[in-house]
Amino acid sequence: MKKNMMKAFLTTAVMGTVMAAGSMMAMAEEPVTVTWFASRPVDGAIDLAIRQIAQQYSEEHGGNWQFEVITEADRPSYLQKLQTLISGGNMPDIIDIDATPYCQELVDAGMLVDVKEYLNQEGLYDKFEPTALAYQEFTNGTMYTLPLEYHVEMIWYNKEIFAENGLEVPKTMDEWLDVCEKLSEAGITPISVDGADRWPVIRYLAMMPFRETGNDYIISLSEGNASMGDQAGRNGIEFFQKIGQYFQEGFAATDYATAQAMFLDGQSAMYYIGDWEIAAMQEAYKNGTIDYFYMPAVDGALTGANEFCVNSGIGMAFNAETFDEKTKDFVKYVIENYGKIYAGMDQMTPIKSELPEDHEFSDLYLRVREDMGSIGEHFLKPWDCYLDSNTCTVVNDNALLLATGDIDADTFISLVDTALEEYKSGF
Amino acid sequence: MKGILKDKKAFLIFLLPALVFYLFSVFYPIAESIRFSFIKWGGLGEKKFVGLQNYIHLFQDKVFYTAFWNNLVYLVIVVGMQILIGLLLAVLLTYLTKGVAFIKTLYYVPCIITAVAVTQLFRSMYATQPEGIINQILKAVGLGQFATSWLTNIKTVLVCVSIPEGWRYTGMYMVIFYAALISLDPEICEAARIDGANGWQTLIRVKLPMIKEVLLLTLTMVLTGALRGFDIPFILTNGGPGNVSELMSTYMYKKAFAGNQFGYGSTIAVFIIAESILVVCVLKVLFTGKDEREERRIQKEQRKMRKLERRSGR
Repeated sequence: MKKNMMKAFLTTAVMGTVMAAGSMMAMAEEPVTVTWFASRPVDGAIDLAIRQIAQQYSEEHGGNWQFEVITEADRPSYLQKLQTLISGGNMPDIIDIDATPYCQELVDAGMLVDVKEYLNQEGLYDKFEPTALAYQEFTNGTMYTLPLEYHVEMIWYNKEIFAENGLEVPKTMDEWLDVCEKLSEAGITPISVDGADRWPVIRYLAMMPFRETGNDYIISLSEGNASMGDQAGRNGIEFFQKIGQYFQEGFAATDYATAQAMFLDGQSAMYYIGDWEIAAMQEAYKNGTIDYFYMPAVDGALTGANEFCVNSGIGMAFNAETFDEKTKDFVKYVIENYGKIYAGMDQMTPIKSELPEDHEFSDLYLRVREDMGSIGEHFLKPWDCYLDSNTCTVVNDNALLLATGDIDADTFISLVDTALEEYKSGF
Repeated sequence: MKGILKDKKAFLIFLLPALVFYLFSVFYPIAESIRFSFIKWGGLGEKKFVGLQNYIHLFQDKVFYTAFWNNLVYLVIVVGMQILIGLLLAVLLTYLTKGVAFIKTLYYVPCIITAVAVTQLFRSMYATQPEGIINQILKAVGLGQFATSWLTNIKTVLVCVSIPEGWRYTGMYMVIFYAALISLDPEICEAARIDGANGWQTLIRVKLPMIKEVLLLTLTMVLTGALRGFDIPFILTNGGPGNVSELMSTYMYKKAFAGNQFGYGSTIAVFIIAESILVVCVLKVLFTGKDEREERRIQKEQRKMRKLERRSGR
């Protein structure tokens, strides 16, 4: 009996090994597959454009080229999955990442391709909008990510509500607060915010420091050379606390769709979002019910009225280990074709290109595109691109309490400074 | 077959697959967590052995203490709802003669809904924008001043993330308690009644002591479950606003996977494991009465004696 059992066990084991070896041999004969672990909305413009280009490229190469896209649109989940994949030694061929401290760690570990060098080698560097590339750079000027989008962020406002209350578009931050106060007194929710995603809230915290110092303050802060309690930080907090009281009730639990719907339904007077939502704004804009203005200025500040949050979104980075000639060729193909296809989807493209003639662009699109041509030298880069993951979580979580008035400025400062110290001490 | 089963080695062979599976799926991750808790690692590069540094940091970490206290509140609410309400419903159910199966099924439904759906359900109930049912009802009955944004108000959020978890499994524990209660010998209850015990006394003095084992089992399940509670609080508020509804498990996840502090995250995980084991041990001691302990001691001694007798007999 025992002998029989042993025999059965051995047979199964041997069969298993043979089958595993067989499947590995079969895999070796399959065509090349490049995997992109992406953090873009499924069926969004970028997703569709890249898939279309990959399909085209695959057909031109006789189908021996396969492009697999694994998408996780929710950014925090994406980053966690990415970090876990990389920690487990399974970095995909192409990933999406911002120029964050974590990205720098990957660079330091030699895991990412120097995209600036690659673009220069291939003579593609000048094909991009300079600001779109500058956004992808680390503070030391190196660049390891490729931009696929190009955006400006603006404050959308309800023209009808403004007119009914005799309000003008604010030119300065103080005027903006006045507008909010008047709206609030009239019983109207001044601003709707998507607090569930955190980042829209943090933008408000970053505004004053950007006006005063450009990105210098947040760079010093992230490098541990400044405190959240420095003057620029305190001014940022002060403005944030003031404007925070004009957010809708329960904003911390409001999601993206709800906040946007509130604004579009006329339940709030203003809403901060980038041009990527043009499609959603289109109808109300055309009807003349809504319009937009950019981040108001501050008299005598470093950055001017034509300088605000401009970004080229999360970048595409390449695994240094698998970036072979075939992948290089594909990326070149993408850059050559992407601009026109992407613009044809009513998107602002980071790659300079003529607008396709067979597509009719809306006035709104053309107006924003024109605005983008006259932006200044500075641009607000989101704080989460600079701060390490842990500090970023602390800032994100506690800014909500700061805005609702549940914690005071000093508590917030101490929490952020402690997190930064931890990071600096290498804990 | 009888011959084989008598052989202890055959027993072991049959048990081996399950044991190996258990070791790999349960014991190995725990052992790895313990190993990682002495290490500092950001997910990249060299892992650095740091001794007890993570543990020292743990006991100095204010957020961890917040998470610990929050977890206790969460535990009280979840245990209270699942055990007390579950038991109450089970007792009420024993008085029913018709439609028991229907009601049991109805109350069991929340258990089969996924955590994400439960979360969405409660999120919309708690919401202010668009106004959720809770605030609507409060306003309708003239208690509008109590209407609030339940999930962002720091005074209500912790209770609000605890309730869905309690609600979700109340039905399951009701079914367990009901099964235990109806399996009791009706003659004993009748004897109690003849001796003059009323319904309440019968329940407290007779029925509950008789389902003590079931109570112990369910309490163990509920307590350890609540200590590890993660999904609903995480999806509902992600520990926020700030760390007001942070639980140990959500904090552990944040540290390990969002903050890239795998070592420190593991330290929190080890703490949770140790705490769960401690709770189970305390429960065991509490539930083992004096008489029972005495009885067990006697049984043990008897076994020893028998062994000795057998040996000397040979």
